[in-house]
This record gives sequence, structure tokens and C-alpha cells, in this order.
Amino acid sequence: MNETQKLVEIGNIVSNWELSADVNALVLECPEIVSLAEPGQFVMIKNEMGSTYLRRPFGVADVDKDQGLLLLIYRKAGKGTKELAQLEEGAPISVEGPLGRGFSFKNEGRTLLIGGGVGIAPIIYTARHLAKDLEGPKPVILFGVRNHKELFWSDFVENFAEKLVYTTDDGSYGRKGFAIDAIPDILKDYPDISHIKVCGPTVMMKGIAELAIKQGIECEVSLEKRMACGFGVCLGCTFEGKSGKRWKVCGDGPVFDAEEVFG
Amino acid sequence: MNITRLATDFAGIKMTTPVMGASGTFGFGVEYSDFLDLDQVGAIISKGLTPLPRAGNEGVRIAETPSGMLNCIGLENPGIDVFLRDILPKVRKEAPNTAFIANFSGSSVEDYGIMAEKLDVDGVDGIEVNISCPNVKEGGIVFGTDPKAAAAVTKEVKAHTKKPVIVKLSPNVTDITVMARAVEEAGADALALINTLTGMVIDINTWKPLLGNVTGGLSGPAVKPIAVRMVYQVAHTVKIPIMGLGGIATAEDAIEFLLAGASTVAVGAENFVHPDAVVRVAEGIDKYLEEHNLSHVSELVGKVKIG
Ligand SMILES: Cc1cc2nc3c(=O)[nH]c(=O)nc-3n(C[C@H](O)[C@H](O)[C@H](O)COP(=O)(O)OP(=O)(O)OC[C@H]3O[C@@H](n4cnc5c(N)ncnc54)[C@H](O)[C@@H]3O)c2cc1C
Ligand SMILES: Cc1cc2nc3c(=O)[nH]c(=O)nc-3n(C[C@H](O)[C@H](O)[C@H](O)COP(=O)(O)O)c2cc1C
Ligand code: FES
Repeated sequence: MNETQKLVEIGNIVSNWELSADVNALVLECPEIVSLAEPGQFVMIKNEMGSTYLRRPFGVADVDKDQGLLLLIYRKAGKGTKELAQLEEGAPISVEGPLGRGFSFKNEGRTLLIGGGVGIAPIIYTARHLAKDLEGPKPVILFGVRNHKELFWSDFVENFAEKLVYTTDDGSYGRKGFAIDAIPDILKDYPDISHIKVCGPTVMMKGIAELAIKQGIECEVSLEKRMACGFGVCLGCTFEGKSGKRWKVCGDGPVFDAEEVFG
Repeated sequence: MNITRLATDFAGIKMTTPVMGASGTFGFGVEYSDFLDLDQVGAIISKGLTPLPRAGNEGVRIAETPSGMLNCIGLENPGIDVFLRDILPKVRKEAPNTAFIANFSGSSVEDYGIMAEKLDVDGVDGIEVNISCPNVKEGGIVFGTDPKAAAAVTKEVKAHTKKPVIVKLSPNVTDITVMARAVEEAGADALALINTLTGMVIDINTWKPLLGNVTGGLSGPAVKPIAVRMVYQVAHTVKIPIMGLGGIATAEDAIEFLLAGASTVAVGAENFVHPDAVVRVAEGIDKYLEEHNLSHVSELVGKVKIG
């Protein structure tokens, strides 16, 4: 019930800037949580000055362990995130984490990392971890975004990617269509890909998971559910896996083996 | 924290502080061990247990509301047998010094008796009878809104256990004192109030209810004034001790409940937001007692000045 250590820490805002009309980046100083955070884990944050009640879950987009900095990338979706976007440098944010179980790293071959929408956030840390911390083959990275106004992600991952591919819904950059459409070509170009890790909308993950399972490529998916607690006590986030076992997205996930979710 | 000021005997359950973790918001207690010292938790109250495992409700189960939340978990739990076999021993090992109260419900009067008997084991310090879950038919709400049925359940439970029996009341009734009196007369050792208030949120983009179960139970700071009022009314109706809960986030909130007539309190949804809340509230009560030159928390109970 209590596998990884977690804590609550007040993190001061180091910077909070706009990446696009509806997406912001936030850097918080919270060295203790950062020192424990692994790729694919998440945090629950609360702006104690704000008007919302529950904490809000966000994937760990990246960490700077030397400086104790945490990067979150968030879509201004509703009340809490819109209030968050108003906050300036120095404002305190209560951060709880690191939470959940992140991606696993077996590292036999090359990894294809796929992100859709703000699901791209945790891909950043995962890419850096594969390329720098583990010094393995650089991952191939595939991002599915709406249009050419969402290419800001490149800045965060360029250095860690063997190759960075975009698909856009409207064809305004890269290949027109969904992320999954780009996969066959990528697999042809990189036959050493042995693992796929995906974070994005459910429909996208489902399609990719089915493709990976069919091709015998190990695939992990990162799920999203409404959460009240984030550490396994409210039971707001549970689901039944293909094995019949009940899982908590917050504690057993958010990363799951694709077979257990979509198999 | 000064234990001599806070230690409380609640209907025979010995607790180091009068502040507990409320059912359904505190897991089985041990999930909180990273955030607080379990020795300083008055009592762990378990997630609602049922005779058989329950998967809970489909669809969205959580919605934020102004100063609170709605939930329709639907009593997801592993069932009484798995609890007794796997969970209770683990809890007793990791939190040996904390009082443990098992919360449970059933779908018939007989169910309640069977559950009470199964829970009459070492390691369980008291039992809390949930006749008030608004989210499932089997959650006992039918027993929680009819005084005769509530009395029948209470009698059945009392006949099957030697543990102190706390009956948890629903606020979804016209007159909660009628329920309180019925349950007291049937032999309850203590009362807990309030459970959640039935509520609903509609998504105006889809014109559909936000929650999978259509309705859910409201809790959090939004419900506190209602809960304090109900504790006040019930305290003037019954002689058995009361656990007050509903919207407690701070020591100040808890003290209101004590003044209204509760001798203990429980923290619910606030645990999700600030997972050290149970201990912080106890510490705050202790500080208040010191500042007011009071030697024990019981000196606050029911002391609200009217007129
Ligand atoms: C594990 C996990 C990781 C996430 N990581 C990111 C991330 O890195 N970047 C990002 O932009 N978003 C992420 N999200 C989604 C993010 O939590 C929501 O967009 C955010 O909570 C919306 O808050 P709000 O106050 O702006 O919206 P409101 O609609 O006002 O929120 C009301 C309630 O609904 C919940 N809620 C609303 N939308 C979602 C959603 N999509 N998923 C879960 N809960 C929701 C809120 O948490 C809150 O409890 C993640 C969600 C989960 C579960
Ligand atoms: C997510 C959630 C699950 C709950 N589950 C139970 C339960 O299983 N049994 C029960 O008696 N009460 C349950 N409750 C009710 C709480 O124990 C408490 O009575 C109520 O939430 C009011 O307190 P609060 O405002 O401090 O949360 C639950 C409440 C929440 C928020
Ligand atoms: S969010 Fe509370 S159990 Fe997962």
C-alpha cells in the first residue's frame, strides 16, 4: 500500500509562462519531491490562495535534480488551471508527490515515445531519462498535435531524440492525421524499436496499444482519471483490468501495461 | 501534542486524540503513513465494508463543487473476508497503537448481523454501522431514513457483537433527532453524524449529469454548518456520545463541533487535500485548550452558550 515515499512540499514558482494560447509551463522549486520523482509519475498541486478545493493532478514533465526544479506543463482547462496561470514568480504552491508508478525501463532496444495533447508532458522527462540517465539508444519521439502552433514541445526534447516526428490534425505541419498513422513508417526506419510508451487521449492510446500488441512490441500507456486524493484512499480513479483485477490509476498507475488496459 | 489533554474514551474505544479519519476518506489508515504519525491519529475508520466484494459505480465518481466535492464511489471494497484475512493483520502490524473502527453496511437486517459478528475479532476496537450511504441501494440508506428500520439494524448488530457500536446517521432526513432517538433506544453506544448530503451536478455542455451515478454525496467545507446544526440538535436529544463530522478542515472547525455537543470528531474529504489534516486538527485543538487554560478536551463538549 505504501511502496514509494511521498510528501507535501511548498514549492515557490520560479517561472510560469505561456507556451501557446491554451498551454502554460510552470517551474516550481521543490527539491525533496524532485529528488524522488521518476519518469511517468505525477504530482497533485494546490494553489492555497485560489478558490478551488481539491488538488489537481499533473504529470512530472521534467526535473532538474541538481537545482531541485520541477517542470509541469498544463492546459488551461478550467477554473483551477486558469487561476494557476495568473500566478507570478515567488508565489507558493503546495505540491504533493511524487505519486503513482511511472514507466518501467527494461531497455533492450530503442523506445518509441508517443504523446498526444498535453499528454506530451511526461514524455519529456522520459526521453531525457532514456537518453541521458540510462545512456541508452536515443528514443524516437512522435507527437500528435492539433496544428503548427503547438510545436513548442520540440524545445524540450530535441536534444534527447534520435528523431522527432509530428502529426497535426490539420496538416499544417508534419504529417496530416493522427499519431498512429505515422507509426508504420517509423517502425520500418527503426527496426530496433522494442518498446512503445504512450501518454495521450484514450482513443489514441487504445489504437496504438492494439497496434503494438499485434506487432509484439511491449507497450505501456499512461491513464487519466478524475482524482480526489492521488494516493489510493478515495477510490475515485479505479478500473477493472483485462485480467479482472481492480486497479487504482493513482497508485498502481498512472502507467499500465497496455495489455492489461486494452488487450 | 499533550496527550493527557486529548486522550478520549469514546463509548469504550480508547483514543489518543478525539480526532479520527472518516470512513471512505482514510483508506485503511496505513496509506497515510508517509504524511503523518499514525500514533497521533485518534482512530482509523475503515472504508465501508460489505458482505461481498463490490466494484463500485461506473463512470465519473468525483466532482468538485463550491467548497466541497461530490462522490459516488458506490462502496467499492474488497469485501469483509478479504479485509479480515489480508488487510486487518497488515493494519494492526503497521499501526499497532491506533484505535481501529470498522465501518460496514449490508442490504438486509440479517446482513448487518452477519457483518457485526465477523467483525467481533481482535484488532477491531469498535464498529461503525453505515445506514446512510446515499450512493448504493445496499448502502443502507433505506435503513437510514426509516426510524423503525434503523432501530432493527441497531438491535441486530448489538446482538452479534461485544464491540462498541457507533451508528452513522444520514443527513438526508427531515428530522435527524427522530433517527437519533430511535437508534439510541435500540441500544447504540454512540452516534456518528453526518454522512454525505445527496447532490447533483449537470454538465451544461453535454446536458448530462457529470457523475456516472447521476447523484452523489456532498462533503467538504460546504456542508459544515449543516453538520454543526445537526450535532447540536442531536446532542440535545440523546445521552450517548456523538462523533461529529462534515466539512472539518481545521481545529477551529472541530472545536465548533465539540461546542455543539460532539465528544469526538472525524476529518473526511480534507484528508485528500491535506493528508496530515487529522494530526494538524488534533494539534490545533490542543493549542486551543492550552490557550484557554482547559485541562481536557471534554471541557468543551456541549458548551455552546445559547441565550
Ligand atoms: C495522472 C494525471 C496527470 C495529468 N497530467 C496533466 C498534465 O501534465 N498536463 C495537463 O495539462 N493536464 C494533466 N492532467 C489533467 C489535469 O489534471 C486537468 O486538466 C486539471 O485537473 C483541470 O483542472 P481545472 O481546475 O482547470 O478544471 P476543472 O474542470 O475546473 O476541474 C474540476 C475537477 O475536475 C478534475 N478534472 C478536470 N479535467 C480533468 C482531466 N482531464 N483529468 C483529470 N481530472 C480532471 C479536476 O482535477 C477537478 O477535480 C492530468 C490528469 C491526471 C489524472
Ligand atoms: C470519497 C468518499 C467516500 C466515502 N465513503 C464512505 C463509506 O464508505 N462509509 C461511510 O460511512 N461514509 C463514507 N463517506 C462519508 C464520510 O465518512 C463523511 O461522513 C462525509 O464525507 C462528511 O465528512 P467531510 O465533509 O469531512 O468529508 C465517504 C466520503 C467521501 C468523500
Ligand atoms: S485518486 Fe483517490 S484513489 Fe486514486
